[in-house]
Amino acid sequence: MWDVVSGVAWRTLKNALLNPQIAIPTMLFPLFFFTAFAGGLSQLDKVPGFDYEPGYTAFQFVFVLLQSAAFSGVFTGFGLARDFEGGFAKRLLLAAPHRSGIVLGYALAAMCRWLVVAVVLTVVALVAGMNIGGGVVDLIGLYVLAALVNFCGFFWSGGIAMRFRTIQAAPLMQMPVFLVLFFAPVYVPQKLLEGWIEGVASVNPVTYFLATGRGFVAGDAPHVLGAFALAIGLGVAFWTWAFLGLRKAEAAGA
Amino acid sequence: MTEKNGIEVEGLVREYKKGPRAVDGIDISVAPGEIYGFLGPNGAGKSTTVHVLTTLLPPTAGTARVGGYDVIKDGPKVRGLIGVALQEAALDPLLTGRDHLRLQATLQGVRKNQRHSRAEELLHRVGLADAADRKVSGYSGGMKRRLDLALALVHSPRILFLDEPTTGLDPQSRTALWEEVALLRREDRVTVFLTTQYLEEADVLADRVGIIDQGKIVAEGTPAELKAEIGRPSVHAIPHREEDRPRIAEFLAQFGEPLASSRDVAVRLRDGLVLTDIVRAVDQNGIDVADLELRAPTLDDVFLAKTGRTLEGAAEEAETEQPAMRPA
Repeated sequence: MWDVVSGVAWRTLKNALLNPQIAIPTMLFPLFFFTAFAGGLSQLDKVPGFDYEPGYTAFQFVFVLLQSAAFSGVFTGFGLARDFEGGFAKRLLLAAPHRSGIVLGYALAAMCRWLVVAVVLTVVALVAGMNIGGGVVDLIGLYVLAALVNFCGFFWSGGIAMRFRTIQAAPLMQMPVFLVLFFAPVYVPQKLLEGWIEGVASVNPVTYFLATGRGFVAGDAPHVLGAFALAIGLGVAFWTWAFLGLRKAEAAGA
Repeated sequence: MTEKNGIEVEGLVREYKKGPRAVDGIDISVAPGEIYGFLGPNGAGKSTTVHVLTTLLPPTAGTARVGGYDVIKDGPKVRGLIGVALQEAALDPLLTGRDHLRLQATLQGVRKNQRHSRAEELLHRVGLADAADRKVSGYSGGMKRRLDLALALVHSPRILFLDEPTTGLDPQSRTALWEEVALLRREDRVTVFLTTQYLEEADVLADRVGIIDQGKIVAEGTPAELKAEIGRPSVHAIPHREEDRPRIAEFLAQFGEPLASSRDVAVRLRDGLVLTDIVRAVDQNGIDVADLELRAPTLDDVFLAKTGRTLEGAAEEAETEQPAMRPA
């Protein structure tokens, strides 16, 4: 099984990191969002009621970190869909004794791909003067939470990729993730939201991931267990979704 | 129980949603070390059969055992002992030839310390050593086919499935691939299941041939046996003048049953007649022909006798009749 996982992950990463047409957008999107939000909207921390101690750069860093985690997963799902469309998935299905290793290989690649982005993003945020109130354990908590979001992002999009087996399904993979991310307290804390967006944000799981993640950076994370339980629960649900997708692809003959 | 590297298929059916039966109850038995040619026009069910036997597609009904293992229950074991080169070489244009071999060796569980040497050996064997570090997007069709074959061999499989391996290849590459396949059987005792729509390929390579049409096997045996079933040779006359065609056809009809042919006038000879009988009669009766030829039966004759169509004609029909069907 590990041979399959490592082989698929190696190939996916090699393509994702060494080909500029794939590597550059993956890296540029989070950096662009971070620069645009943390830089362009920095005056929002002067809004009455905005009481996030480490400041607006750290406030946006957590969102962009979680967003990059989710989208590294989704973009890896794009690659899986492209492999089905182009026929390469047949090679994987024919060669892999245990096919679940294929899905896990892509998931590992999604994680490694995000880790590269996370390192660059963290360095840029620190250079930009991000304040961190939390300790090492808090930061590990933040990155583990983001890794779980990365898994959810990949397993969601991978499930779609294996059901539709075409890159034309890309909007279906991307749009729900985009919506769920932006229907959360992205620019200001939840207590400053009003109307329908507040209502949606209050039932959006990403709201809890953001609150806990921002709490980790501030050194005072709220409902940690709840956020991790929710992330693990979603991870298990999307894992199941992805593996049922694999069964669909197998039944269809890829 | 199937022998270690044989193939046993009984009553195999594969139906596609909203489509006809691509494979319609076929029985096949391939002995270990045998090259089995699976011959048929486009859309006959060849590739679908290969997809089922290689565990890529579950059958709708029937059983198939490859190397002693059931393709449904023992998929991982089947995949571990087969090598497959599909009709469309499934390659990643962004990877090099060497990358592909490295990936394939990893997926197939080749020992780490053997991967490099095995890749080098295969790259030399298929003549891609010089192009090994180039991205596959720059490879020609023939190079992709050769790489695909090398990938199928990376874990030294006992059974090799080749799905139309020479389609689109130039004659030189085709001959080289035939030699490679023959060598694999001769030296490594690999069982080869080869689909093709080329009569010559089946004739040259295969120990036994199964002819499939519209999902059913219509004939099976060694090429010699199949041709012997048709038995008698045919005589083909090319008229000097087109207006002589009916007269020549009428004349030749006394020697056997007429064959449909747009190029010449042809009859399948009755038992006991030889070419000299015809030449003598043509000469004595002053029949004016530009050319007179005796042809031994071919596998196309076998196909014609079994289905009433030539392979070429059947392929054209398949293309016009089944636009919604998956390639098979």
